[in-house]
Amino acid sequence: MRQFLEGPAGTGKTTYAVEHLHRLLQEGVRPESILVLVPQRTLGRPYQLATVKPDWPDAAGVEVVTFGGLARRGIQLFWPEIATTAGFTDAEGHEPIFLTIETAQYYMARFVDRAVEQALFDSINVARPRLIAQALDNLSKAAINEFSLDDVALRLSRAWSGHSSRLAIYQTWLEVAREFRQYCLDNHLLDFSLQLDVFSDHLLHNPVYQTYLNQTYHHLIADNIEENFPVTLDFIESHLPPLESALLVMDSDAGYRVFLGAEPLQAAQLQASCDDHTTWDSSHIQSKPLQSLSTALDAIFTDDDLSDTPLPELDPSPLEAFAYDFRTFYPQMLNWACDEAIQLIESGVEPRQIVMLAPYLNDSLRFTVMNRLQTAGIPVVSHRPSRAIRDEPAARAMLTLMALVNQPADQLPPAPDTADALVQVIANLDPIRGRLLADVVYGATGRSEMGSFDAIQQAMQSRITYVVGERYEQLRTWLMEQRETVAQTPPDHFLRRLFGDVLSQPGFGFHTHLDAGTVAAQMVESAQQFRRVLYPDGTDDWSSVWVEYRTLVSEGLLAALHEESWHKEEANAVFIAPAYTYLMRNRPVEYQFWLDVGSSAWSERLDQPITHPYVLRRSYDRDKVWLDEDEFQAEWTMLRKLILGLTRRCGKQLYLAIADLGEQGFEQRGPLLRVFQQVLRSYGTTGASA
Amino acid sequence: MNDTPFKFRASQFDIISYSRGLMGVAAVPGSGKTFTLSHLAAALVQKLSNRRAGRDQEVLIVTFANAAVNSFKSRIAAILEQERGLLPYTGYRVRTLHGLAHDIVRERPTLVGLAEDFRIVDDRVAYAIRRDTVTAHYSEWRERLRWILSDEVEERYEKVVINKDLPELLIDLVDRFISRAKEMQITPEELLIALENQDAVFDLSRFATAVYQDYQRSLAYRGAVDFQDLVRLALTALQTDTQYLERLQDRWPYILEDEAQDSSLLQEKMLWLLTGGKNWVRVGDPNQAINTTFTSANPQFLRNFLANPDVKDRPLNTSGRSSRKIIRLANELIRWTTDQHPVMELRSAFYPQDILPTEPGDIQANPPDTTSTLYIYPFDRRLNPDDELKVVLSSLQKWLPENPDKTVAVLVPENSRGFQLTQLLQEVGLPYEELLRSTTETRATAGLLRSALLYLSNPRSSPLLAAVYRDVWVPMYFDGEEIEDAEGPINQIQKALHRHKQPEDFIWPVGGDWTLALDLELPDDYHENLDRFIALIRRWLSALSLPIDQLLLTIGQDLFTDPTDIALTYKIAVLMRSIAQANPTWRLPDLAEELRQISENQRKFIGFDDAETGYAPKPGIITVSTMHAAKGLEWDRVYLMAVNNYSFPSALDYEEYLGEKRFIRDNLNLDAEVLAQLDALINKHPDDYEPGPASQQARIDYAAERLRLLYVGITRAKSDLSITWNVGRYWERGGSFVKQPAVPLYHLREIINGDG
Repeated sequence: MRQFLEGPAGTGKTTYAVEHLHRLLQEGVRPESILVLVPQRTLGRPYQLATVKPDWPDAAGVEVVTFGGLARRGIQLFWPEIATTAGFTDAEGHEPIFLTIETAQYYMARFVDRAVEQALFDSINVARPRLIAQALDNLSKAAINEFSLDDVALRLSRAWSGHSSRLAIYQTWLEVAREFRQYCLDNHLLDFSLQLDVFSDHLLHNPVYQTYLNQTYHHLIADNIEENFPVTLDFIESHLPPLESALLVMDSDAGYRVFLGAEPLQAAQLQASCDDHTTWDSSHIQSKPLQSLSTALDAIFTDDDLSDTPLPELDPSPLEAFAYDFRTFYPQMLNWACDEAIQLIESGVEPRQIVMLAPYLNDSLRFTVMNRLQTAGIPVVSHRPSRAIRDEPAARAMLTLMALVNQPADQLPPAPDTADALVQVIANLDPIRGRLLADVVYGATGRSEMGSFDAIQQAMQSRITYVVGERYEQLRTWLMEQRETVAQTPPDHFLRRLFGDVLSQPGFGFHTHLDAGTVAAQMVESAQQFRRVLYPDGTDDWSSVWVEYRTLVSEGLLAALHEESWHKEEANAVFIAPAYTYLMRNRPVEYQFWLDVGSSAWSERLDQPITHPYVLRRSYDRDKVWLDEDEFQAEWTMLRKLILGLTRRCGKQLYLAIADLGEQGFEQRGPLLRVFQQVLRSYGTTGASA
Repeated sequence: MNDTPFKFRASQFDIISYSRGLMGVAAVPGSGKTFTLSHLAAALVQKLSNRRAGRDQEVLIVTFANAAVNSFKSRIAAILEQERGLLPYTGYRVRTLHGLAHDIVRERPTLVGLAEDFRIVDDRVAYAIRRDTVTAHYSEWRERLRWILSDEVEERYEKVVINKDLPELLIDLVDRFISRAKEMQITPEELLIALENQDAVFDLSRFATAVYQDYQRSLAYRGAVDFQDLVRLALTALQTDTQYLERLQDRWPYILEDEAQDSSLLQEKMLWLLTGGKNWVRVGDPNQAINTTFTSANPQFLRNFLANPDVKDRPLNTSGRSSRKIIRLANELIRWTTDQHPVMELRSAFYPQDILPTEPGDIQANPPDTTSTLYIYPFDRRLNPDDELKVVLSSLQKWLPENPDKTVAVLVPENSRGFQLTQLLQEVGLPYEELLRSTTETRATAGLLRSALLYLSNPRSSPLLAAVYRDVWVPMYFDGEEIEDAEGPINQIQKALHRHKQPEDFIWPVGGDWTLALDLELPDDYHENLDRFIALIRRWLSALSLPIDQLLLTIGQDLFTDPTDIALTYKIAVLMRSIAQANPTWRLPDLAEELRQISENQRKFIGFDDAETGYAPKPGIITVSTMHAAKGLEWDRVYLMAVNNYSFPSALDYEEYLGEKRFIRDNLNLDAEVLAQLDALINKHPDDYEPGPASQQARIDYAAERLRLLYVGITRAKSDLSITWNVGRYWERGGSFVKQPAVPLYHLREIINGDG
């Protein structure tokens, strides 16, 4: 039985799919033979949570994976079988090295930099990290659509109607991409695009692998198929026939990952390959006024140029579904939203029933809102897939200590960094004495090594306090000992020992500071990954690698610490996130706050000069010039999906926070604001409701 | 429509009744231009909302300054809401040229090679990049540029000239060069081609082009553009994508342009495109064009528009602002310049338009002549600049107490004079507000944040801790009397904080008791207050490991309650974060230095110039302003200072010019010369260029603009006008040049004397 189930968000589709999984298991299906395929790991969460429930015995073998994960595992298993045919040089005896986004950027950087030095990217104004990211993005687009690299350059060129200098940029990208790809093949490195290419072009056509697949998986549950890439959908389609059962679930108004290459239309066509097609449309989540609001918004968007057609009469009025507030300044707007959220919680609403959403979430915004709510004693979590190392005090402290061990005397970290590091790692050291102690570090020894506490004047010792002095000496002695073995020690080994031998011990800052311990562990992992990818065979002298690691971190490559924020996001806390991230969490709540409704970012795509999310889609006519009209329509369509997706995940009330002047002081007139003005005009009020 | 003729003059009503087409409005000072334009905008907003309910169409109003944006926005909102029953703040958009360009580029960044998160570097960062690039290139070019130095530079000064004066001059020169090149939409690469095979006289342009090229690459590396790029790229977007242009034309079916006398070449081009030559209303006063030097802003654009037979010419001539005496003086300045100015080229400096006083029964009657006074300081008494300040000060000391309900301003040609005056006013305790360069708001907010950052960047320092207490904490909790009491507790605390060399004894005392370190007997409330101060500093120090933006937000939360301050803190925090990211090796001391630049306000803070409606003079408080910043404002009494032939030259041979440096040969104005070279290169007539004529023309242009600036100064006064001048300083040091009254003053004095 192959079942196709579709409907908008909030109609119970995923709940049904989880029950379907349960039924299969109850019927005695082996968990290992069930493949749950999701477009993004976050969307597999309901299945993972279900399979660990106590009343689901023996469910542990159920595979919940993304297509990328499947590809990677396949390549790992069948590497000797396909490496040579896939074009890898000298593959025998070498394991494949899978690149993360960061390590892929590291390698791509050298090819992009060369082109930048040759002034080949001069006609566009894009910061280096973005150039690197875009160069990789085009490669990914090629892989998920099964385009050749030449085809990508060709599509971009044909769609372009502006200044001719851009055509040369696309050509430059093509050359950079070819060099990068060849380098990867020569060194058995697999970035995301090459993983998919190898999987689709070689593994999937390999009879041995086909047999393995058919023998392994007999049941498929594919949720959120509208968010899948074309290659994934191809895979599903071609593998449906031999399966004993399949359930394909599609959110009919979604397709939020179109920017990334999702093809909702192709996904919808899969229903033709199914025996049964069911559509659900009644919301289990929205209140009546919110349903009215969704209907009104849908009508506005269907009438695609906001023209004169009157909106439908609705009872209850959509105006009951939302409150809004218009302020001059951005922080005033944030304050209003926080005040309203605080009131809700004081009136008994659970914090987890509130989300605060913005089109983008930068650190200043996150900090301001979180700080405000936390001050009021409200638990709050924020989606934070990655953080810059330099923003993490504990990580920064470890890097500074690393520099004190192995850095030429003239490149020692600046005194404020050292002071900061000491304050982080020595227990009960305040910032003023930390600064005094930093002076000791750079004391009379001419910076050749860390100064000793014992060598300074007694008056100063007394100011800093002897307790602190003793701990400092302990740290200093340990660090100086490490100097002797730098050449033999990979950076991650050093970091691990630093944490284990010193920082986690009594008297040091990480001993009781659990968060710092977590950061230290992540830091070790990041450095380990760096070593494994870049120096899989080790090296004779690690000292230059220490410097390289620190340089990459400070340049912003390798800058991020990744963390799984699952359990945090599921805590009973207000959730702050970018709007799209929230949608991809698929977690309905009672109250939504939309921050900065006037911003034009609500409808904007990531606009990047050397790539193009729409032109690089399989469904896009490769000879068609991309026009302003297309741009406008695409934005309008995405805005519709976004706000319908959001309102359908809102149970009780929507709060619109509007600031006249945006974060940068620019007046805001974004399309979302205009849409709500239309609602207000049509259903009748002019004053602010809150 | 509920517009009735009663509240409008006939000429105003005529404008508000506009329905379509091209219309030009030359508006004399005080003729109700903003009032009329706001009503016109509201009428058009209503028309659009009646015609196509809900359609995404807006009236676009383009004006010159941020303050005007705020003022227009709120005026139109009030009319829509109160007089027309419509939603305020919708159906229209008010923008500066930069704001409009930002909107256009923001919507389609890739069209012009930008990512959607492109940054705009503000003027200060742009300046720093240019400065660094000039410095990097200079050593290579030093010898090649030597020919531009005057032979008269004495040997002992030569080193200073070569190592300091010339590079500084080049930084400004390059700025003008790059701005103009961007206005002409020409790239460094195109310039390099044009410069091939040109002789050595073009080395100046070669140098500037080399810097231009590196400067652009520096911006590209940051994924950033500067303000000129923003405008240039907006125009490129409109020229490149006709569909996009058509969409915007449809969005803005009416465009109203305010301050059209300051329209630049790019603005002119952009608005022609956006209006498609259809519904365009341009309002301005060609006689108040005071932003033309070294920009392509030119009142001639407006004058040509007014002269176009297809344009409805609807002048606003009537003004009730000033007394008839003052109106006559202003009109005479125009008449004399047009008919009698000794330099023929300057006779066209003004647009021939008289200000007419109001008719009897007008809602705004002119102030009576009987109480109106005009004064020009005698020509036979020579004041040095300090004495001139004293003369004005003593007049204010006498006048102000007698006229507490009246407004008064002192208008100066340059900021530096204004700062000197404010210092004196502070000393004698006269209340004042300054309107110099930009708002005090930003400076105060950024100044307080900086004071806090400075201490945090060096927490060991007792003087810095004392400074935070004095500059940041005390003004929040105590009033003037307590602060000024030299023997009072506040000063004692401050001295003790300064004196005690171990601030940790206060902030983190080992035994937990800071009073031991302070060694002062304090009244309970001061003790409690100091306790709170210490807690605050401790909180801030604990926040030291936060990224700079979060640290600033933390401090801002503790310091400010006013929404503008909070918004500015937020904006500064975001800005500082991007600066910190661009300069990963910078630490707090460097960032505190950046904040100093902000607190001295050399940056452009879009959107935060005077929060609501722009500046409004207050009775009993002296406004100190540049004449430029005074545009659009009015006071009962106005002092115009330094009206001599240096600040207001007349293009006569014996005068000295700001742009002509002594160490440059043949009185060349290098800025003007390099721009002339650029024009010759762009127009593909490089052979036509020779050194000299451009410098001469620059004198004429500058003199013309200063004549108009004088006109602006005069027309700020409602009832009383006092003009003083000084002989400068060089004269005292034995120089040959003695500054004299500006030439037009001789004629104006006759008019005043004639008035008796």
